[in-house]
Amino acid sequence: MTYRIGVDIGGSFTDFAVLDNHSGHIHTLKVFSRPDRPGSEITTGLARLEERFGINAQQVDYFTHGTTVGINTVIQRNGVRLALLTTAGFEDVLELARLKMAHIHDLNARRPAPLIERHHVFSVQERTSSDGRILIEVDRDSVVSAVTRAREQGCDGIVVALLHAWRNDHNECRVRDIIHDIDPELLVSCSGAIWPVIREYERTITATINAYVQPRVIDYLQAFEKALTDAGVPVPPRITKSNGGVMSLDQAKAECIQMVLSGTASGVIGASYIAEQCNFNRLLSLDIGGTSADVAVIIDGQPEYGTGELIGEFNIYIPSVSVTSIGQGGGSIAWLDPLGVLQVGPMSAGSLPGPVCYNRGGNQPTVTDAFAVCGLIGHGDLGYKSVQVDVTAASRAMATLAAPLGITIEETAETIIRIAISGMYADTSALVSRFGIDPREYYFLAFGGAGPMMGCWLARELNMKGVVIPPTPGVLSALGGLVADLRNDFIDTLYSELSMQMLPWLRERADTLRVRGEHWLTSEHGTDLPYTLMFLADMRYRGQSFEVEVTLDKRWLETGDLDAICQAFHARHEQIFNHHDPQATIQIINLRLVVTSPTNTPPLKRLPTSNISACAETHVQAYIDGQWRSVAFYQRHTLYAGQQFASPAIIAQDDCTTCVPTGMQITVDDFGNLIVTADTSQEDTFHGH
Amino acid sequence: MAIDGRHLQILANYCAAAADAMAHTLMRTAHSTFVKETEDFSCQIVTRYGLAFASPRSFGAPWYSGIDYAPVLTMIKHYSPGDICITNDSYAGNVATHTPDIHIWKPVFYGGQIACFVVGHIHNTDVGGAVPASLSRTLTDIAQEGLRIPPLKIMENGRLNEEVAHIMRLNVRVPEQNWGDFQAQIASVNIGERRMLEIIERFGFESFLEGVEGILDYADQQARRIIATIPDGDYFHADYADEDSEGGYPCRIALTLRIRGETLELDYTGSDPQLMSSLNMPTGGRERHPLALVGVTYALSTLDPRLLLNAGTLRPTRAIMPPGTVMNCQAPAAVGMRSLTCAMAQITTLGAFSLALPERMPAPSPGGNAIINVRTIDTLGHTIVASIGPVGGGGGGTPHHDGPEGCGGLSAFLKNTPIEINETEVPIRFHRYGLAPDTGGPGRFRGGLATVMTFEITAPDTVITARNRNRSFFAPPGVLGGRAGRTASFMTNPDTSHAVEHGNTDLIHCQPGDIVRIIGPGAGGYGPVYERDPEQVMHDVERGFVTLEGARRDYGVVIINGNVDLEATLQLRTQEMVASPNKGEHGHFDFGPARAVFEALWTQERYRLMTDFLAQAPVAWRFFLKHQLFAIVAKTHHTDQDVPNQMQRLFAELRTRFPAISET
Repeated sequence: MTYRIGVDIGGSFTDFAVLDNHSGHIHTLKVFSRPDRPGSEITTGLARLEERFGINAQQVDYFTHGTTVGINTVIQRNGVRLALLTTAGFEDVLELARLKMAHIHDLNARRPAPLIERHHVFSVQERTSSDGRILIEVDRDSVVSAVTRAREQGCDGIVVALLHAWRNDHNECRVRDIIHDIDPELLVSCSGAIWPVIREYERTITATINAYVQPRVIDYLQAFEKALTDAGVPVPPRITKSNGGVMSLDQAKAECIQMVLSGTASGVIGASYIAEQCNFNRLLSLDIGGTSADVAVIIDGQPEYGTGELIGEFNIYIPSVSVTSIGQGGGSIAWLDPLGVLQVGPMSAGSLPGPVCYNRGGNQPTVTDAFAVCGLIGHGDLGYKSVQVDVTAASRAMATLAAPLGITIEETAETIIRIAISGMYADTSALVSRFGIDPREYYFLAFGGAGPMMGCWLARELNMKGVVIPPTPGVLSALGGLVADLRNDFIDTLYSELSMQMLPWLRERADTLRVRGEHWLTSEHGTDLPYTLMFLADMRYRGQSFEVEVTLDKRWLETGDLDAICQAFHARHEQIFNHHDPQATIQIINLRLVVTSPTNTPPLKRLPTSNISACAETHVQAYIDGQWRSVAFYQRHTLYAGQQFASPAIIAQDDCTTCVPTGMQITVDDFGNLIVTADTSQEDTFHGH
Repeated sequence: MAIDGRHLQILANYCAAAADAMAHTLMRTAHSTFVKETEDFSCQIVTRYGLAFASPRSFGAPWYSGIDYAPVLTMIKHYSPGDICITNDSYAGNVATHTPDIHIWKPVFYGGQIACFVVGHIHNTDVGGAVPASLSRTLTDIAQEGLRIPPLKIMENGRLNEEVAHIMRLNVRVPEQNWGDFQAQIASVNIGERRMLEIIERFGFESFLEGVEGILDYADQQARRIIATIPDGDYFHADYADEDSEGGYPCRIALTLRIRGETLELDYTGSDPQLMSSLNMPTGGRERHPLALVGVTYALSTLDPRLLLNAGTLRPTRAIMPPGTVMNCQAPAAVGMRSLTCAMAQITTLGAFSLALPERMPAPSPGGNAIINVRTIDTLGHTIVASIGPVGGGGGGTPHHDGPEGCGGLSAFLKNTPIEINETEVPIRFHRYGLAPDTGGPGRFRGGLATVMTFEITAPDTVITARNRNRSFFAPPGVLGGRAGRTASFMTNPDTSHAVEHGNTDLIHCQPGDIVRIIGPGAGGYGPVYERDPEQVMHDVERGFVTLEGARRDYGVVIINGNVDLEATLQLRTQEMVASPNKGEHGHFDFGPARAVFEALWTQERYRLMTDFLAQAPVAWRFFLKHQLFAIVAKTHHTDQDVPNQMQRLFAELRTRFPAISET
């Protein structure tokens, strides 16, 4: 008997997904996160797994882990004190950023303070040109003086980000060597080594965040590693990455930037796994927790990737699973503005104190409280008996809003749900317009603690094809880590016009990338792994200031098939922007390589079929679409494949509750997914207004 | 439904989503990089009567959120489903405000009735006319500014009017790009129409119409609540653009802000006459014209960032703009560069709000944000034309903290272009891009620093243009004891014997080896300078934001060996106070030395007498007469004459010399 374990540490809960290698069965578990004692939630969780399911740490043959320690360091701004070394004349790069401010209407707005204070920025006399020539060699004295002053100022790490290091990082390496000569202990992050992308601010902030979180991440990973060893887990763990893959512990320590968004990314990977296994070709993942709600686009089992994801108040520019925030989740607070208009968010009760109904100190009504007041949640325990829902407390809080509005408590609650959903509708609608997606062709895959609770409401507003609730929606991120592949990105910024003459050079650069990729794989993970190489190019028409990602067939590079490369770009441009320009000059900005070594994942376990109709455990009273109704209440584990039943319905399980409003029907598919679609026989009630 | 506290936010969210969808579709499918980069476009949903009630939430400059399309909507006699109308004529309804802005609108029919319109505009890179890109300060007549399309149906019942389309393509320099952008506009209004139909379907026709009124009323009431917190009174403020034309005289924007209870009146009487340059604003004198009220949108949003922005927001406000002035020009005045004047109108508005609410408003933004373009050749001899980004100032010092550096205030929506991209695309070499020390106006809270860009020319006959340059002469004001920011500068070969300062020139020719340096105007400071903690000044010195000399000169702070010498500082500050007890006593504003010199001659009284006189003259004479008066006053010995008598004498002389001006 062997098991694979995925663990995802979030703000409130640490989720465990355990895959039985033999049966394909997935066990799930949640324990409270312990940011005060990192590693202890792992120990607790492993002990709980043993007592609950009889799973022994010795039986674990694969272990993956995602954590928010990196992103929290940035949000709480408690990273290391850094110095920045730049090319002389360009010291204000972090102060200027890209100029544009987050709040464009408020003249009293401030910009976020840079992560490196300006007086810790020093200039180096050196210069590289845009075509990579060294115009001025590094002046050693300017580096020595910078490092001396940085150490006097108490800086514990140094970021080196020089102009045009994307093209040639010779001078950055030289500066690094000089620093090491002076002080071999000093942590140094070079922008060209972290991610050599063109655009000085973007490259600098990415290297800065890497250095900023590094000591904290290393400490955390060491505590985590020790907890695993102490518990007797016999395999080295892998760490989930922002790009949806996994990496070794050593790589995670060296390239912290790669794990900063691992939590949201592995949720999307979990969703992609379900999509691919169960043949959902067009999917939007919908991950709603206590403080966030995120959507990602998944087509044919593949998530969209992008750069520029937001980390606290800053963006980072490494390839990441592309996720869009659509709101603040179940913890959003409802309130009355001075004109008596009911508003929801943007303030959130977060995971602590949390909703009123969790009885953990919250006293302002939240979206989750509204669901409780309407009788949609709270008929059993939540989160593995860790939370009991106190409907009375929620109602009391709701009454403070109902009285001034002159409506009943349940009317207030339902209005709060609608306002929250309309806000998420607005943001999702912007997302589908940005991607040019027709929501009628897409399912939501709803997960996270509150995704199954809210997903059906949002889907019916957006006219989606339907909603898929996977078997373990509460721990999909942990599961995602478990099925993620080894994956690493490599970039070569070419910034060149695409032409016949440059093709030999392009092939040469592609070869160099391939060698680097294969070297990484064999040196990190040995020679016996199967792997795939995918070449991508970021291309644009000359004069554009943004790039379009195009997948390049290896053979086009080998045979120098210029036409095929151009056509692929035109086609992609047409697909995204509805037009292309066969006459225009094409630039290839980046050549990228993704090296993937697939993780062996057993197929999802199929659920036995039953021809007996689904049996509600009981009926409860819930307030939906303006009236109290008798609503069928099911236990998820009593459902079988092939069963179908009508809404309204509530389906409870250990890790979350699924709520389905009127006008829909629920089908259980072969894999145990709940498929919620419009009930065509009740068409007229589908739009609840 | 009055304001139904339950459902208002839901309908507002849906409608904002429809506007967002329009904007994303436009951004995604537009051809010109201009649209994607500078976000110079708008998308709105307006009522059956033209009032904007929903806008995208995070795009572009907030100029058009309160627009009223009524003037152009009513110029089309009859609407049918599938119609799309178009105009870019600044003098037909004043919805389009210069020729590159092509506006379109489409009725949304529900059950045979119009429920609302979906509207929007794109700034086209070129619409023909005398100069590439259609915009230049030197143009004097709108006919030079390119193609003019009167309000008409470009699509009728879903069918394109090919004849008009043909004229549109024939009269511009890059027809494919304009046509691509036009297609994107069509896609945008079509998606807006579809979304709005879904929304009306959900809520029902009557409830939708009532709800929309509720949304407008809500913004109206929000605005009124904010205005009610501002003390009643008349607040007069005037500010000057450096030049009213190429190398011309200053151009005054004068504003009397009247606050009465929950209402605002912006009286621009006393602003300059309309100009023989393209700096005129074609507002038609409409009392809620968006260009006249941008500053109000900013001020109210600053006082309450949660304010909903739509036409309702502007309801408690009205503007007065006498005809034939720079704020309300008459055809055929050129209007292409009205953005410079609009920025001055915003700055003046914010100055008046600062008078009314000194404790809650920041020092006004500096304006003068120049967009730098380079035309040069590469090593192969190919012509390269590229925008290398904006160079401007920071935000004004605020009541609670320093202004943001290098951006913020009225230009917080602008993005820069990375140096690495500029150097790769354009054969010029940058020496510096950063913040210019000592440019921020000193104060308890310092004004944001200006940006500085220095680069070296590598090819012959390179042309540098800097559109919207201003503030080379008159400094951005500081408030409440805060000092003015540093003026802007545009130089070739600074710090050499052959240095040239170009002032507000917006086009220069350069040769290989020339060094060009552009510094934006610094923003004004807030609060008494000597109340700034010396340690904060020290911190600014450490950061390179203030020089050692600047610390001493501007803040009276003495720094020795990297430490504040408190005793010497106290002594210096006391000395300064004794030597010039009025230092820091500039009244509410400190406008800097140039304005003091200018106003010694051109007092507010003298200027008012002149604008009163010009207002009596025929519109076509006004600019000429203004220039006559400036020239005469400069030459007149005026030490002990009283100003009204002297001016009356000059006016009489002019009437005698030019009898035509009295004949109307």
